[in-house]
Amino acid sequence: MRAFEHLNATSVEEALAAIGEDWQTRLVAGGTDLVPLMKKDVIAPSRLVNLKTASELANVDFSDEAGLTVGALATLDDVGRYPPVRRHYRVLAEAISVAASPQLRNMATLAGNLCQTSRCWYFRNIFFCWLKGGEKCYAADGENRIHAIFGGGPCYSAHPSDPAPALVALGAELTLYDGKGGSRSMPVESFYALPADDRRRETILRPNELVARIRVATPPQEARGVYLKAMARGVWAFPLASVAVQGVWDGPMAREISIVLGGVAPIPWRAKQAENVVRGQPVDGGVARRAGEAAVAGAQPLRDNGYKMELVRTLVERALVSAAAPQARHHPVA
Amino acid sequence: MAKVVKTQVEFEGRMLEQAALLQGPQPPHWPQEASLEVVGTSALRIDGFERVTGRARYSCDVHPPGMLCGRILRSPFPHARIVSIDASRAELLPGVRALLTSTNAPAIRWKDGKLILDSLLSFEGDEVAAVAADDAETADDALSLINVQYEELPFVLDPEEALQLDAPKVHPSGNLMGGKPRVYDRGDIKRGLSEAEVTLEESFHTQTALHNALETHGSVTQWIGKELTIWDSTQGIFAIRSEVAEILGIPLNQVRVIAEYVGGGFGAKQETGKYTVLAALLSRMTGRPVQILLSRWEENLSTGCRHPTTQRVKLGAKRDGTLTAIDLHCVVPVGSYGYAGSVDGPARGLYQCPNVHTGLYAVRTNEGPARAFRAPGYAEGSFALECAMDLMAEKLGMDPLELRLKNYADKDPMTGHDYSSNKLREAYQLAAEKIGWSSRNPRAGQTAQNAPLTTRKRGLGMASQLWGGGGGPPANAVVKLNPDGSADVITGVQDIGTGTRTGLAQVAAEALGLPLSAIRVTAGDTRDAPFGPTSGGSQTLSSAGPAVRSAAMDAQEQLLDVASQLTKLPRERLEVRDGFVYDGRSPGQRKSVAELLGAFDNLMIVGVGSRGPNPVGYSLRTFGAQFAEVEVDVETGRVRVLKLVAVHDCGRVVNPMLVRGQLLGGITQGIGYALTEERAMDRQTGRVLNPDLEEYLIPTVLDIPEIDANVLNQVDPHTNNLGAKGIGEPPIIPTAPAIANAVYNATGVPFTSIPLAIHQVIRKRSVP
Repeated sequence: MRAFEHLNATSVEEALAAIGEDWQTRLVAGGTDLVPLMKKDVIAPSRLVNLKTASELANVDFSDEAGLTVGALATLDDVGRYPPVRRHYRVLAEAISVAASPQLRNMATLAGNLCQTSRCWYFRNIFFCWLKGGEKCYAADGENRIHAIFGGGPCYSAHPSDPAPALVALGAELTLYDGKGGSRSMPVESFYALPADDRRRETILRPNELVARIRVATPPQEARGVYLKAMARGVWAFPLASVAVQGVWDGPMAREISIVLGGVAPIPWRAKQAENVVRGQPVDGGVARRAGEAAVAGAQPLRDNGYKMELVRTLVERALVSAAAPQARHHPVA
Repeated sequence: MAKVVKTQVEFEGRMLEQAALLQGPQPPHWPQEASLEVVGTSALRIDGFERVTGRARYSCDVHPPGMLCGRILRSPFPHARIVSIDASRAELLPGVRALLTSTNAPAIRWKDGKLILDSLLSFEGDEVAAVAADDAETADDALSLINVQYEELPFVLDPEEALQLDAPKVHPSGNLMGGKPRVYDRGDIKRGLSEAEVTLEESFHTQTALHNALETHGSVTQWIGKELTIWDSTQGIFAIRSEVAEILGIPLNQVRVIAEYVGGGFGAKQETGKYTVLAALLSRMTGRPVQILLSRWEENLSTGCRHPTTQRVKLGAKRDGTLTAIDLHCVVPVGSYGYAGSVDGPARGLYQCPNVHTGLYAVRTNEGPARAFRAPGYAEGSFALECAMDLMAEKLGMDPLELRLKNYADKDPMTGHDYSSNKLREAYQLAAEKIGWSSRNPRAGQTAQNAPLTTRKRGLGMASQLWGGGGGPPANAVVKLNPDGSADVITGVQDIGTGTRTGLAQVAAEALGLPLSAIRVTAGDTRDAPFGPTSGGSQTLSSAGPAVRSAAMDAQEQLLDVASQLTKLPRERLEVRDGFVYDGRSPGQRKSVAELLGAFDNLMIVGVGSRGPNPVGYSLRTFGAQFAEVEVDVETGRVRVLKLVAVHDCGRVVNPMLVRGQLLGGITQGIGYALTEERAMDRQTGRVLNPDLEEYLIPTVLDIPEIDANVLNQVDPHTNNLGAKGIGEPPIIPTAPAIANAVYNATGVPFTSIPLAIHQVIRKRSVP
């Protein structure tokens, strides 16, 4: 790791004042993504601003009127174990429960989890790949079994976050503060954008901004969701594929439905065609299977990741069957 | 009088002729019925307190005053020539104390005729330069300021390509190590295949696996005058001592190697690393201690791996299952400076088969070196042979266990010698009972609980284990009996985490007649210790244990002389137990050792002992069997091991709890090998993609099933005076084939490559 300056911010204001217009200064809270990136020399910031000493954003709150509010410093564990989250936002609680490991969930913040960057093994290595500003994506014709089957090109990273698809499915919103006293809010879904030539990142976050809070409205009484993840071992692995399903149910009929995939595109990937199959239908095995098929429509697998299509089909089908049946036994690891 | 004898010693599948110097008495074997009080108990680790309280000092915990931090610049290319190297900017960085590159490093010869810092680089991670600085960040900054111009050279990763005439040469003498394959023949393989009524031919593939011991490789070096001290994370302090002395051209007694505690090795820490010598050179240049502690990343590029294999197996059998032929052709890429394990070992030795041919091609490639990794070669070879046996059983319509029993080797098929002991039959039987083998449905993919609609299929599978572990000389020990009745046992071995210290203390306590609490064991320091062997080949206890017993016996005999003269009782009547000297005629009469020796000021009895030769005409092997139950989700490709039963035969068990630890550890590592672990290589650039623990997935607690771990605890009457054999490596050997065979039984799809990862299972399932 290179030498760097370290500043303990005593307030959010101070932290925001300290970050600049480039990425040379980085905010650190849990550090579970930032520090490994620095150790691997993927990034070498000259200064870190510690947010943990600015305690005002540590809150997790819920009320029927305001819904759920998660501050920038709330850890995955704080959120995942918060009783209202388990009661009203099962899809989020399940996604958090299968993210990382207990030790990491104690350190990592939800906001940081949403901002984490690609886990691509070319990106996190000495390759000067397209996402880092280079010419080519090495995964495109390289070792790409962990990579994207949707939305790929130029970058074929697979989105690593478990909570992100759940929050997109819940219609969550997040608020960014910037260093000039401004702020902006947007759906989590629009926080993510496929990397482009002029923005080689998976989010629209600017260098002088921080994710201040995440808000999720209280779901209607009849809402229900599940998260289902396939990973290479029993715990502590990024998703090979995952699905967050959130619906408003009338018996087995899905009045409204969100189906969001993780681990298969550079950003959380909404399976709109699958949603169209399900919306307004009583969900049975046949509908669920057709939705699974629809979820992989348009997929463009690379040499080694065609198996992810099989995974998506199965996960979407199983998640829908579970979500439609309130009493169904469900474990979030497939 | 010291006596020289010659003996055969097996190490990781190779037979070595060894001269042994016998010093001290050679105690008779402890028979099965010997009533032992300390040996055979699950004594707590004598250094457990130090370990769990963080007081145990590992090499990375050693910080001599003034210590500098050393870092190594490594090649980003799999094959390149350094055109120019300019370290001037790095040298000017404040805090940089010394710098070594190919332009100023001493011309120390390393392997394959290359220099320690050579201008020709042959794998990603090959050493280019080293720097010592005041702290780690300065050292890292310095590395980034070294300007190296590389000429990239064509490289080769695939061993079949490497064998082509026009392939890039990894070594001037050619890519096939030794210039020819390693061949073994028994009987006539052609006749064996033509006599067969049923034949099977299948290719198997095993992956590259990484050791990932808890403590990464590293050294701290310090010169005081002409003497070099190395705190090293190593499996062999004496191996490092002699290698470093030779490399630096200094006498053996001016190199002291210390490895008081070691966080595992798994085979990769048996030889001197370049980092050790570079640290020593940087220390000499600066006059200050230097630490070079490799990162996980560096270690996984440069210090070794389990090589992958491609194995073509042909089996021939009569309809009744009698094997007529085993033919193995295996190709093993060993990287640069690597070597091949005994992949052919199981094919040669596991079954009684008259006609065997094996050919092993060890091929150099532009990858990091292959090194020994827990049962090197045997884990890979057993996967192919034992999966082939299940495919053959299916063809014959025979139960896989029956097929193995039909071809059971009652004598060593390679030498015709009797085994010193062999309880494989008992291991099969007990493990089969414990897993419920009789309930296994013989038709693959059709087991009773596999209803047609369920996507989760269950199955049972098994595999056998053959390995060495008998140990042998040289190994020496000294026992100092103090006037207060306590004893120091001084050995030249090291405890790499297995519990060697504790096992040796139990042997010493038993042989001296002292309580375990009276024993202190010195290990992991070459300076004052007699020779001890490297902790490899599952031989530490079976080599050093008998030497400790010999030294303890020497000390006890002297104690009896003293006691007899002081008590005026005949020596034959006296015996030592539990810290007391008893009169055998009147058991109520006893005197504590402390009381007896307390009559003298500062009396110290010194016993000297050595490991005796191995028995002539016997084959010293360890055996075992593992049976697995698995559940395969055929849609998601997930393989879950539900239960694993292991029964191993390692002779007498000195400490059941420590042996159990080896079983659980080996099986856990075997499950990783079977299901999740695989080094990924970018074939276009020759760079390793997952040399860390983020995408190289070792198993977690949730991947490990109920493990029913058993050892037969039957004394080996011939192997050595303890009757004990090694157990460090055996447990990993049968795990992967047992799981793969269970997956075959569950799904009806033969899986011929590991790991059985989700992407592999789904892909294989989709290809009929």
